[in-house]
Amino acid sequence: MRFWKSWIVATKDLSMFKKNKYILYSLIALPFLMGLLLPAITIFSLQAEASSLTEAQLIETATVLIDLFTTYFVIIAAVLPTIIASYSFVGEKLEKSLEPLLATPTTDGELLFGKSLAAFIPCVGATYIGALIFVITIDAWSTINLGVFLLPNLYWAIVMGVVTPLACVLSVEANVIISSRVNDIRAAQQLGAFVILPIILVMVFASTVQTFPLVTLALILSGGLALADIAMFYLSKATFQREEILTKWK
Amino acid sequence: MIETENLTRKFGSLTAVENVTLKVDEGEVFGFLGPNAAGKTTTVRMLCCLISKTSGKARIGDFEVDSEEDCLAIRKMVGLLPENVGLYDSLSAYRNLDFYGRLYEVPIQKRQENIERLLKLLDIWERRDDAVGTFSKGTKQKIAIARALIHDPKVLFLDEPTANLDPEAAKTVRDFILELKKEKRTIFMNTHNLDEAGRICDRIGILKTRLIAVDSPENLERSTSNRKTIVHLESLSDAVLAAVKKLSVVKNVRTSENKLILDMDNLKKDNPELVRAIVKAGGNVQFVTELRSSLEDVYLKLIREAGAQ
Repeated sequence: MRFWKSWIVATKDLSMFKKNKYILYSLIALPFLMGLLLPAITIFSLQAEASSLTEAQLIETATVLIDLFTTYFVIIAAVLPTIIASYSFVGEKLEKSLEPLLATPTTDGELLFGKSLAAFIPCVGATYIGALIFVITIDAWSTINLGVFLLPNLYWAIVMGVVTPLACVLSVEANVIISSRVNDIRAAQQLGAFVILPIILVMVFASTVQTFPLVTLALILSGGLALADIAMFYLSKATFQREEILTKWK
Repeated sequence: MIETENLTRKFGSLTAVENVTLKVDEGEVFGFLGPNAAGKTTTVRMLCCLISKTSGKARIGDFEVDSEEDCLAIRKMVGLLPENVGLYDSLSAYRNLDFYGRLYEVPIQKRQENIERLLKLLDIWERRDDAVGTFSKGTKQKIAIARALIHDPKVLFLDEPTANLDPEAAKTVRDFILELKKEKRTIFMNTHNLDEAGRICDRIGILKTRLIAVDSPENLERSTSNRKTIVHLESLSDAVLAAVKKLSVVKNVRTSENKLILDMDNLKKDNPELVRAIVKAGGNVQFVTELRSSLEDVYLKLIREAGAQ
């Protein structure tokens, strides 16, 4: 595997995404809104309770809310590839540009990795920007009102450092498989959203029904996602083969 | 440069290409003619290592169309213009070519030189920074040809290079292919355009799943039994007609105004005897010409015969 070849493919896709306003705005809007909305909900909820709670209780309540909302960024990282990955793969199909691309001295793996990278980088990047806005807003409020930095904590670090990229990879891989079966970007996006539904359900369930300590839960989720990523990788690799693409892709 | 031996490709129970054996020499322009679904694109795809073969052998230069390693080497030495141009509409002409130049591992200096040379040659240099989506179909086709040439390939595969183009754009593309022919590149061209094939190609292969015929356009035109001799006379008399009919070499004779239209086995050998007989019978010969089958006649005849088998 020559990673520089994949990087050429990825940079081409990224420069195309930059020119597509729909992708650009979709990528920015969701994380940016969540980055502002979630701290706003946290702050308003805490201020409503502020008079009836001690400072320690307030910190404890704030931590519960923050941990819950941290999980939402995993969902964002899983949702964004449904927008971008469908453009990356179905877009090539619509422009009928796969054949000349496949005719270059590049392996299937290099092309797949490059295109996946092009979907992964902006999605994780945008999620991190949203998460950064979330941290800054929460910490700005907590240092002023409680005199402590509430973020980052260990759970946040594991979720952002491990769970979020793994969920994003899973979503990208699922979208590769979907893209091989559809010829329409919207259909790919809708199916993509359907496929990532289990991730969303698991995340929401895990963060609300706290059967494990959160850090343990994050580690279990990381392991589960890593296994799912590996399985999906082999499935997407089997789908993204020159022969399959030219003879069987719709 | 290109060699196949019993090259076959099946898709399930459907045989798309069957036992194709051919050889294309270095610097030759080879035209591949055939109806839709004859297997032309499948053959090109196999030769470009895009799809695998079911059986048989294929070789481009020193490399076998087989292993992944050889296929990478083949893809490096061939350029492909697919049926659909497949350019990135939102990227500029320059960026499109630069992207492919990088994938073909062309060093930066050489890449910039090649892009400039090709775009200037195709008269697109001034619009190099415009998005490809703003170009006409013909210009897109020219950019796609430039893309196929960005790495100076030894072998060029062109799949329907002038299909769906208006006559002016088709002529520009054809002229460009003729320029490439002067550069002595090996060109393998799929086409439906018989006139184009006749004018550009050194040899033509007619394919309908199997390879029906391979020869130069001239030889193909001569190959059918439709060749006739036409004798233009000052006036056509009964004596001349009777003399001609008496000749054993004349298989059939028709008249049209002052012309005799004759079927014979070997025109070159039999024409002098014919002319002598006409002159002896008092005929005044103005011209002797040959009525040949056109490439279209040959193509249709061969395709019909292949269909009947």
